[in-house]
Amino acid sequence: MNISPDEAASALQEIDASRAAMRRAIQTHRGHLYLWLWGGIWIATSVLNWMYETGALRAMLWIDGAGMLATVVIGTVQGRQIRSRIDRRFLGVCAVLLVFGYCIWPLLLGDLHSYDFRSYRGAYGYFTVLWMQLYMVAGIWFDNFWFWVGLGVTVLIVATLLLAPALFWAVTLLLGFVLLGSGFYIRYCWR
Amino acid sequence: MNELDSIIHQPARLQIMSALCQLGGSARVDFTYLKDSLGLTDGNLGAHLSTLETSGYIGVEKEFVARRPKTFVAVTPAGRKAFANHVAALQAILVPK
Repeated sequence: MNISPDEAASALQEIDASRAAMRRAIQTHRGHLYLWLWGGIWIATSVLNWMYETGALRAMLWIDGAGMLATVVIGTVQGRQIRSRIDRRFLGVCAVLLVFGYCIWPLLLGDLHSYDFRSYRGAYGYFTVLWMQLYMVAGIWFDNFWFWVGLGVTVLIVATLLLAPALFWAVTLLLGFVLLGSGFYIRYCWR
Repeated sequence: MNELDSIIHQPARLQIMSALCQLGGSARVDFTYLKDSLGLTDGNLGAHLSTLETSGYIGVEKEFVARRPKTFVAVTPAGRKAFANHVAALQAILVPK
């Protein structure tokens, strides 16, 4: 098959155009909706915790529950357009981390569920870092930005708990904005 | 030296392959979503997908989502390789070694 340089140039232009069209479509599936959702939730729960400490627990659980429901809805809707094959090994790793994080470690290491004023921030930090562990595993597994989100949040949470506990809620609030901002970056600036 | 692939070179199939190759390794795209993204008609897209599938360049899977039949399309490793070779051949025409 032989074609002229002009035809080759026009074919390459067509390739670029349809790559760009698909890239725009893929951009709506990159995970920014999750970052916006959980950034918003994080901001809301940080403000509630800052104002009411342990009194915010019930409201926080409802907000988190609604967030999980919204996450499932987003995943289902987006899965109808572009979907990856379910990676059972990855889901297995997540399940193991969550079972250990919610059941085994608290049982062995002490009562993380006793929500007195002093341990409440620690418990909040613990569960936040537990979920960040999943972000990091997902980032390593799928080789994407989730690893850096997880690592950054974990470092900030642990450093604040250990070095400046009085700033803890302010930092979690800031992290909420970081997640929100990361969502905007991924949606509009990431190529 | 890479050679042009007459199956891929047809304009609509070139569009389809370049779009599908943008997706990550295990990702599949819904037929309707692909059709809308590329601005093709049902019949046109269906015919070209069939040609590409016969050549082993893409895989087409049908499944039920919320009790409705859905068709998902993904590029195969052979398709990815053939497309990369085709692009290299086009570039070689513009910049001969």
